[in-house]
Amino acid sequence: MERRTFLTSVGVGATAGMAGCLVDNGDGDDEADVTVGIVYSTGGLGDESFNDMAYSGIEDAESDFDIDYQDAEPDTVADMNDMQRQFAGDEDIDLVCCIGFDHETDLIENADEFDDQRFVIIDAVVDADNVDSYVFREHEGSFQVGHLAGLLTETEYAHAGGETNPDDSIVGFVGGEETSLIERFEAGYIAGAEYVDDSIETPSAYAGSWDDPSTGQEIANGMYEDGADVVYHSAGGTGGGVFESAQSYERFAIGVDDDQSLSAEESSDVIVASMIKRVDNAVYDSIESVVEDEFEGGDTNDLGLEEDGVDAVIGQDFEDDLPDDIVNALEDSRQQIIDGDIDVPDNLDDL
Amino acid sequence: MSRLPTSIGAALDRLVDASPVERIVISIASLLFAVAVGAVLVLVSGFVTECDDPFVLLPGVGYGCYNPLEVYWTMLEGAFGSSSGLGRTLQETTLLLFTGLSVAVAFRAGLFNIGTQGQMVLGALATALVVLELGQLVPQNVVGMVIVIPVGIAAGALAGGIWGMIPGLMKAYADAHEVITTIMLNFIATGVALYLVQNHVGDLTSDSVLTETIPSVARFPTSISDSRFSMYALIGALLVAVGISLLYTRTILGYELRTSGIQETAAEYSGVNAKRNIVTSMTLSGALGGVAGAIYVMMVQYRWQSGIPALGFDGIAVSILAGNNPIGVIPASLLFGGLKSGSVAIDLSLGVPNELVDVLRGLIILFIAMPEFFRMLGKWSGFGSDPVGASGGEEA
Repeated sequence: MERRTFLTSVGVGATAGMAGCLVDNGDGDDEADVTVGIVYSTGGLGDESFNDMAYSGIEDAESDFDIDYQDAEPDTVADMNDMQRQFAGDEDIDLVCCIGFDHETDLIENADEFDDQRFVIIDAVVDADNVDSYVFREHEGSFQVGHLAGLLTETEYAHAGGETNPDDSIVGFVGGEETSLIERFEAGYIAGAEYVDDSIETPSAYAGSWDDPSTGQEIANGMYEDGADVVYHSAGGTGGGVFESAQSYERFAIGVDDDQSLSAEESSDVIVASMIKRVDNAVYDSIESVVEDEFEGGDTNDLGLEEDGVDAVIGQDFEDDLPDDIVNALEDSRQQIIDGDIDVPDNLDDL
Repeated sequence: MSRLPTSIGAALDRLVDASPVERIVISIASLLFAVAVGAVLVLVSGFVTECDDPFVLLPGVGYGCYNPLEVYWTMLEGAFGSSSGLGRTLQETTLLLFTGLSVAVAFRAGLFNIGTQGQMVLGALATALVVLELGQLVPQNVVGMVIVIPVGIAAGALAGGIWGMIPGLMKAYADAHEVITTIMLNFIATGVALYLVQNHVGDLTSDSVLTETIPSVARFPTSISDSRFSMYALIGALLVAVGISLLYTRTILGYELRTSGIQETAAEYSGVNAKRNIVTSMTLSGALGGVAGAIYVMMVQYRWQSGIPALGFDGIAVSILAGNNPIGVIPASLLFGGLKSGSVAIDLSLGVPNELVDVLRGLIILFIAMPEFFRMLGKWSGFGSDPVGASGGEEA
């Protein structure tokens, strides 16, 4: 019996092997004009947020230009240096994209050592001739969603999977790791909420990780329990827990980096808006500059509301449903930020 | 029904009585089996995903995205085939030697130190801070290096040792189980280190939580091009493994440490200060974890940065795979190091998801560890022709 099973499976395997034809793969690598090496941050692909935005930028570039790419997902920060160096030393690679501020320290040394390689870093500035840096004024976009959250908590509003609690005026913030970058999100958000009304409570907490949804959920549970109407997260993959919490409490949440009502579509009934950060455009633009042979290096691109680097977008389930006065108020504050009439703080001390 | 336990018993008897050669053959067979199972898994997952450049087309089934042969080849070549890959493998091996030994030392004394991670994190921080200060005071040459590196290692060992001593004291004098206390101390260690670096001793201008980069005088001299690996660190680690093996087999202290952990009352009865020896074992274990942190700072990252890899937890697996034998830790950490390095290579050059590579790594470790695990279990439960169950499941 055993032998017959064995023979049968060998037979099937052999037939399949003969019937299957090998498809030529990967070796087309050399044919593309430009090869890009991209190293993500530790949140990794599938965070439906920061890293996935970078990925969509490179996918867009791949469909528009004749490029190939290799990507690497570091398990820990310690892997980043090695991965940067592998790509930097690879003669086939024309541009190394470093996604996230954790790359900064290693890139300073590697950009110097591999001075004929081109690099791009997102979310940090590396001052070197062969590095283009992209940073975002996240506080501006966060002010916008904070403004929205503040307006919502002061209104009685129910739509899709959530409704506000008219008794309390509370809006929460959940961060990933406690760094000055994420503090910009927090500061902008709180300033936006306080722009509506100084008395709005703005609890905030950090999960200590970019990929820990269960902690994110616990924190958000506490906030909704205390009466928060809206919780904004800036925590990468950890934010998935915030959305789940919003769904179970039937309140609202605000996404980050990507339009999360699309990227985290299963939670679109509570994602009233997202603070998008066009990491995809930054990656796309940097690749375009290499393809067009216009890469200069040493540039710092500081992108805010005015440059469409950040923006507040309404979630797909809420697009035509938010009250007009809220939408108009948001539009006003957006213009005032661009015109410089509202000064958005980028750290908590300036609140 | 009654036949089933007998046959299992017979199998366990057989396993426990296996000669060293047989055990090696079993390990190799397990490895091959794991590779085969993994290959099927890779192939099958290749059919359920979509990709731009599939390598095979099966009519009626669809396109297969991942070529198992390519995956294994990349893994092998990535681990040993290039200077940077080999450097990465040996770097990882060196660190795992220390964390594996840290866990093994405690195990041999009947203590389960899950706190190696925390001891390593604090050891790493202590090393980084000490060499950052000391590096400015010494001459920037070989003489400076000879001063700074040993002092850096000592600082790591001291910090790790103290952090290991705490659960030792709690175990010996307050009867607090070391599994619980070491797990909790891991969180405290990470939290304390994060707080200190973020608010006081780190590079406060950076968005990341990190210290300044250590000066070149505090970096281990590199031995392989394209890599930060240093032969000195590996040789040191091997010597420590041999030293610990000798400590436990050839010295009175080693014997006392073992007896105190395994049978405290018996040890006390025969005039050994068991409580003090428990503290000594945990301190030694913690110091080894601290040294792993020191090497990590001075050979791998050149700074302390939050998100230190879980080498301390990998050390537990390394130690168990080695049957808690200090010499066995050497091949076990090489296996882990090679797998880690190989999986980085796959990530860099193939479109195979990280998670799948982790599964492959897990399979290989699981398959190799299982026979040894059952052997330990069988020995523990008194199977085999020499049923001495009191050895704590260790290998001599």
